[in-house]
Order: sequence, then C-alpha cells, then structure tokens
Amino acid sequence: MSTKNIRNFSIIAHIDHGKSTIADRLIEYTGALSAREMESQVLDQMELERERGITIKAQAVRLEYIAQDGEKYMINLIDTPGHVDFTYEVSRSLAACEGALLVVDAAQGIEAQTLANVYLALENNLEIIPVINKIDLPSADPEKVKHEIEDVIGLDASDAVLASAKTGIGIAEILEAIVKKVPHPQGSPDEPLSALIFDSHFDAYKGVIAYVRVMNGKIRPGMKLKMIATDKKFEVTEVGIFKPYLANIDELGTGQVGFVAGSIKNVKDVRVGDTITDAERPVNAPLPGYRKITPMVYCGLYPVDSADYDTLKDALEKLQLNDASLLFEPETSIALGFGFRCGFLGLLHMDVIQERLEREYNLSLITTAPSVIYRVYKTDGEVLEIDNPSKLPTPQEIDHIDEPYVKATVIVPNDYVGAVMELSQEKRGEFKDMKYLDTTRVMITYHLPLSEIIYDYFDRLKSSTRGYASLDYELIGYNTSSLVKLDILLNGDPVDALSVIVHRDKAAFRGRQLAEKLKGIIPKQMFEIPIQAAIGNKVIARETVRAMRKDVLAKCYGGDISRKRKLLEKQKEGKKRMKQVGNVEIPQEAFMAILKID
Amino acid sequence: MNVGLYIHIPFCLQKCFYCDFPSYSGLEFLYADYIAALDREIADQGGLLSNDYVDSIFIGGGTPTILPAGSLTQIMDTVHKTFRVAANAEITVEANPGTMDHAKLLELRQCGINRISFGVQSFSNPILSAIGRIHTAEAAVESIAMAQACGFDNVNIDLMYGIPSQTVSDLQASLNTAYELKVQHLSVYGLKVESGTAFADWQNQGILRLPDEDEEETMYDQAVAENNRHGFLRYEVSNFAQPGYECRHNLKYWHFNPYIGFGSAAHSFVNGVRRANVTSVSEYVQRIRTGRTAVESVECSENETAMAEFSFLALRTVRGLSIAEFNRRFNNDFLARYTSVIEKLKKLGLIEFDGRFLRLTERGMKFGNQVFQEFIL
Repeated sequence: MSTKNIRNFSIIAHIDHGKSTIADRLIEYTGALSAREMESQVLDQMELERERGITIKAQAVRLEYIAQDGEKYMINLIDTPGHVDFTYEVSRSLAACEGALLVVDAAQGIEAQTLANVYLALENNLEIIPVINKIDLPSADPEKVKHEIEDVIGLDASDAVLASAKTGIGIAEILEAIVKKVPHPQGSPDEPLSALIFDSHFDAYKGVIAYVRVMNGKIRPGMKLKMIATDKKFEVTEVGIFKPYLANIDELGTGQVGFVAGSIKNVKDVRVGDTITDAERPVNAPLPGYRKITPMVYCGLYPVDSADYDTLKDALEKLQLNDASLLFEPETSIALGFGFRCGFLGLLHMDVIQERLEREYNLSLITTAPSVIYRVYKTDGEVLEIDNPSKLPTPQEIDHIDEPYVKATVIVPNDYVGAVMELSQEKRGEFKDMKYLDTTRVMITYHLPLSEIIYDYFDRLKSSTRGYASLDYELIGYNTSSLVKLDILLNGDPVDALSVIVHRDKAAFRGRQLAEKLKGIIPKQMFEIPIQAAIGNKVIARETVRAMRKDVLAKCYGGDISRKRKLLEKQKEGKKRMKQVGNVEIPQEAFMAILKID
Repeated sequence: MNVGLYIHIPFCLQKCFYCDFPSYSGLEFLYADYIAALDREIADQGGLLSNDYVDSIFIGGGTPTILPAGSLTQIMDTVHKTFRVAANAEITVEANPGTMDHAKLLELRQCGINRISFGVQSFSNPILSAIGRIHTAEAAVESIAMAQACGFDNVNIDLMYGIPSQTVSDLQASLNTAYELKVQHLSVYGLKVESGTAFADWQNQGILRLPDEDEEETMYDQAVAENNRHGFLRYEVSNFAQPGYECRHNLKYWHFNPYIGFGSAAHSFVNGVRRANVTSVSEYVQRIRTGRTAVESVECSENETAMAEFSFLALRTVRGLSIAEFNRRFNNDFLARYTSVIEKLKKLGLIEFDGRFLRLTERGMKFGNQVFQEFIL
C-alpha cells in the first residue's frame, strides 16, 4: 500500500476523559475485531491497567477503513501511556505518528497532563485533531472547551469533532478527520532503513518483540538489522502488525507501524527511542530524541518471609524482561534482611510493579519509603549518589547535599489558586509563573524538590482543590538543600529501613508525625514498645505502643470449632504478614508510613 | 464411646445487641414446624450410635424456654426413644429469665432436664437495658430462685464483662449476687464486638462506649480472683465451677470428644468429621420436611488441622493438653513436633509443662490466642 493511504496517530487525553473508550469504538467501527472478540477497553491489556483505568504500556492497533472518498486506508493507532511517570515513552510514541487526537472531556476541560502531552505532540510536529468527548453529559459545555483549546493551546477548534464514545456519536467523523487532516507518512522505501522503536515486550517463544515505526526503507524477515544506541545486531525472523493481536506479514514498509522479532534475548538491548537500521546498509544518524531512561524514584523491596528472596529475584527478573526502565540490585537491611533496591520512573510505576509482584508472583512484600537520588558532596571531595537514606554518610563527612528539582505545572480553577500556592510554598516550592487559561482556570508553575512530589504533594494537591487540580512535572536539575537523616528507633533499636532524608527545618515536625503514625500502625504486642524519632543522637519525638492487655477468645462453645479455628488462622495470617524486627512485629504499611502522614 | 447431643433452638424474643449467634426474633410462626422438624431429624439419625450412650445433652439457643409448653417434653421424648441416654446424663437447658414461670420449670424437671443455664450477663438494670436484655435484674434473681425451688441443683449463670457503661464495681456487684444465689457454675465472658451485631454498627458509628482496656483487664483479674475465693474454680478460660460441677457437655468440645448437633446451625463432631447444619431456620425446616439432610457443610479434617484443633481446644482448659492422649490419637510425638514452639512459649511465660500435661499459665490464659496460633499451621 502506498504511504499516501497510511495514517499514524495517537490519542492524547487526561485520565477518564475517554481515551480507551474512543479507541474501542474505532476498533469496533472498522471491524478490526468482531463483536465477540471485543472486550471493553481492548488496548489496556494488563488486568491492572483495566482496574486502574490507565495505560501503562504502549499498545498499537492497525485499522482498515474505507473512507468517504472510496479509498481504503491503513490507520495505525498507537496508544500511549497516560501518566506523568511515562512521559518519555509518550514522546516516543508520538514521534512515531503524524497526527494525534486531542480528546478533552466536554465537562472537565483541559488538564495539566493533557497540556504537557499536547506540547510534546506539537514538538513532534503532529497534526492535532481536537475531539470533545462526552458531549452527552448534562454538564457538557463543548463551546467553552473549544474556547479553552483555542486560548490555551492556540489550536483552531472550530472543526473539533463533537463525540460521545459511550454512545458512538462522532466516531465516523473522527475517522474521516484522521484521513483528511493527518498527513500521510513521508519517507522513501528506497532509502536505507530507519525505524523508531516506541515499545517492546518479551515473548517467551520469540524473544524480545520491538514495536517500531518504519521511517524509511522496509523490514523483511532474513534482513540483518542493527540498533544504533546499543549497537546490537540481529537477524529478523518475523515482522508483523497489530490487529491488535500480533499477525505476521511479509514486509513492513515505509510509514508502517508493526513489530519486529529476531531472537533478541534481552529487553535492555531494545530501548525505546532507539533507531533500527540495516546492518549492511546503515543510516548515518539515528532518529532524533533518543535518551537513556533513568529511574527517578527508588525504594527497597523485601520479602516478608525471607525464604521468598529467590522468588522475588526471579519475579523482578521476569518483570524486567518487559520493562527495561525497572532497575534492581541486591541490598541488605539490618532490619529487613536481604532484598533489593529498585529504581522506578515514578510513584505509579513503583506501585504497579509492587502490585504485580504481589499479585502475579504471590509474594508478600515490604516496600520501604521511596527516595530520590541525592548527590552527597563529602568533605574529602568525593561525590556520592545516595538512593537509600540509610546509606547517608555521617554529618561530619558531609559538606553539602544536592537534591533533584522538578518544574511542576498545575492547572486549577481560580478559586483554588491560594490553596495551591500555600501547599507549594509549604513544600519548599519556588513560584515561577501564573497564567490564566480562561476566565476561570489558571496554570501555575513552581520549581519543587522531587522528594516533596513523591512524598505527598499530589495527594495534598488533590484534596486541597477538591480534586480539580491536575499536575504535570519534569526534572530540571539538582539544587543544594539543607537535608538531614531522620532515624526511627523501635524498642531502643534503630530500624534502618525506616530512615528518611528530610529537610532540616521539617525534621522535628516530620519526626513527631512519623512517630505518631507508627504508633497507630504497629499493633499492640505483649510488651510495651517505645517509638523514638532521632536526628543523629538527638531524640526529637517519642511515642509508646502500649502493651496488649488481653488476647483470648472468650466464648468457645456451641460446638462450632471450625469458626474458631478460622479466626485463629486469620490472626496468624496477619502475623505472618508482619516483619519481625528484634522482638517487635512490624506491619508492612509501617515502612510506607512516612507517605501517609497528615 | 459416649457422645453428647446439642439441640439448637434458634428463637429469641429480642436479639441482644452483642449477640451473633444464629438465633432470631419474630419467627413465632415457625415454632411448631421447627419442633416437628427437630423431632424428625433426631429420630432419623438415631441408628448411628447403637452401641453408645448419650451422657450429655445441651439444649441451647437462642432461648429454648421461649417455646410453648410441651415442646421440650416432646423433643426429650424423642431423644429417649432414639438414643440410649445414660441414667446420670447431664441434661442442660439454656434459659432466659424473661421467659420463665413455675409451670415451665416443672415441665423441664419432669422431662429429665437436670441442669439449667441462665443467660443473665449482669445484675444491673441500666446495663441490662444497654445490652438489649429483655429482663430486669430482679426478674433474673426471681427466676433463678424459682428454678432452685423447683429442684434444680446444678445451675449456671452467664455473666459478661467489658460491656457498655460497666464499671469494675458493677461487675463485682453482679458476681456477689451470683454468689448469694448459691449456684454451682459461673461462666464469665469478655465482650467481643462481633460483626453483624447492633454493637458493631454502633462501634462503626463511634457511639459504642466500652470500658477501656485497663478497666477490662481489671475486671477479668477480679472475676478470676473473686470466683476462686468463693469456691468457683476455673476449669476453662471463661468457665468456673464448684468441684464436680464442671459442665460435662462443654468439656466435650474442649476434650475433642464426639457430639451430635440437631436443629438449624447445629454442629456435630463424630469420628473426626465436623458437620454443620444450614443456618436458615426456614431452610432447615424445608429440608427436613422434604426428607433431605440439614447438613450444609462437612469437614473431614486433615490430620494437621485436627492436631491444631485438638491442641488449641485442650489448652483452653486448666487441665491442659495431655501429651499421651495427643500422641495416641494422632500417632505422633507432640514434644518433638512442637519443640521450638514450646520453648518459645515457655520463654514468654505463657505455658508450663509438668511432664504429662502442657497448660497455659495465668498469663497464658490472658493471651490464649497468642498461644493457640502457634499450634495452627
């Protein structure tokens, strides 16, 4: 098929604005899947993705559509992850397209992440087709949303498609708009091959499967290919397209989107953003935009039952097969024993991995509070990158500490500007900018320490704005801060896994809060448990978990022994989920307590 | 082997606020059908135990004494027709002071019931109404005295501690009343708020005011010490009796001995198999009427489960767990099997071992669950 009849596009939307539903309707409308095969939200394949209503991994599907002009078009939809943790993946998916649907909820208007993704799309020179979704809602105000799109993004929204993916309104119009407005791919089949990798997954039989967009040239089985950034070569065994299930074809031509397999064993060799070229006739330069992704958030993962260490290791290795951004290396904690320090793109990524480990591998895990990477400048001139608070050198050895900062963009109704600013100041933010998007909505920009974002900024932002605020952030660099390590002692013994790095001015307050919170989390045991928060040798807060007074089933007759046994089993099960540190049994959530205060 | 019978009467005038037992108010229209079904269930199952004696019967509820005159006589007749009941069998009925009169008591005596267990819970009127009891303290005293006058010389009183608005001296006053009544047996239970009860609702709404843990512990300590001082020796976590008046039927549960349950929600334990009848009263009636079994669940315990049950049940008693009996029943070596657990619990001061019996210490009685769990997989 000529590139003239190919269209590649993505959908940009805020969570809940209807991206997956629109994708489903497009698939349904073009008959890519029969009604029987249709399951709601086809593209969000992972169980977790469905439950959370988010896309974690990019997916793609090829649609065949006969347009009103009578011609048949091959339309590739590349679904993008919808969360700030995965911005880089989004940018690469967008780079594989010529156009994007900008889906905005007719009642909610534009949100911060949508905006960030629209800017990414504009940077990639994508043709943007505004779609105003959920117009059937009683509170829908499409005109207002059109104005917002025009005022905020500067896009002409007069032709915006009015849609209701739920009822199917506007689906045909969207397809027509894609055909008419999204440019067909440029590039030439005769040029040397260059193809952009926008995702990959590991298949037990085929090895790593790279998801690619062919920019120039073509890919056929038998070709020898090279990945430019990793310099890995492989021979193509299969090429194919997404229907959305994988379907082999003979050749992936210029402008097309599909997959390439070639017994590549390590997912790390197939990096998102890298360029695939012909090993025998390579291009001179890779496609622009590649960067190595580095985790921003680190935490310790420990099995509650130390016998599960190997299972955890296997599980992490298996997950890594599909997720090159997940990093882990063994670490040891005095309190928790053997485990792993893991690096994630962000909190959601961390949450998802943790949940998958527990669900898919039936592991019971302890997650320590997430940490960013601190740069510690020692008095002897050495510079350390610290991702685990317990590894911080003693104060005497430290000259100063730098921490990562982000540029945070918040979009909020103007009634909440005060709340957002107050919160951001409290979180050590530096005000940068404030802009009215329209008469009622404001975009506020702050520079904030990343540690505050992963601490509780987003939750607090949501609650102080009644859920109206949306947030986007990007890393901008490192700044020096006055930071100290806050230690927690249980029953007189420091528990390394509970240490956190905090700003000096907040240490006392955090210490008190944390001690108080732990008091609520640690169940009463047969003896009294003092909880102390300390900086260095100085105890700054103290709480006590009082001793349990009594614990016995009083009534045990009527002959229903099974029920009593089950009660005891449940109690024992709860105990098994706790970690014994010294004499003290500590529940899993205690290690995340620092995130749950306020 | 001798067996016990449990006969469940799932009816109450009013549900007490703390109660999660399978008993219901407002089912008066089912009384006659239920008695007929019970009758049939008992008669149909008699053949099981042709060589054994029944040496304990417990008619529990609910409120068995709520039934119309003649009902319990009918049931007891059927029991005697069906089973060989030992001459000295302990036959208990649970009674609610609000449902008693002289005629009913005489009927109980005449049908062979020789032990009566009064659910009193407290002899304080404000507390009684706060926990949803239908009777006053005076009515309770009167009923108990009446029972004794009718010839009951084996009487139990159930009391509770840790209930709303109760103080240590309230409990002491209730204990004193019980001592004055010269009964033979006392059960003293700590309140546990069970889900599905009125108390649980109120707790969720934050309007249930319970004594704090310190007070509750003091109540417990006091009840144990006072009972002992008055000659009621503890023989199980919550049970106290004058020597010789330990409840033979309830001991069967703790000693892993067999019992057969009749009626809705009744449980049986025969040949190591635990069975439970359907909880729904109308379904029970329906099943029996149509000739089907009332058994809803059957649990043939794995050896491991049986060992766990045997252990935690035996440890509830003051006599403790007989190592020899365990080894004989399960063809196993208790001390070898639980070496580390025993060491750990000894070190915590929760259990003691005299070479034959493993038992809870005073402290262990208080933290029984911490001990029981260790014997569960």
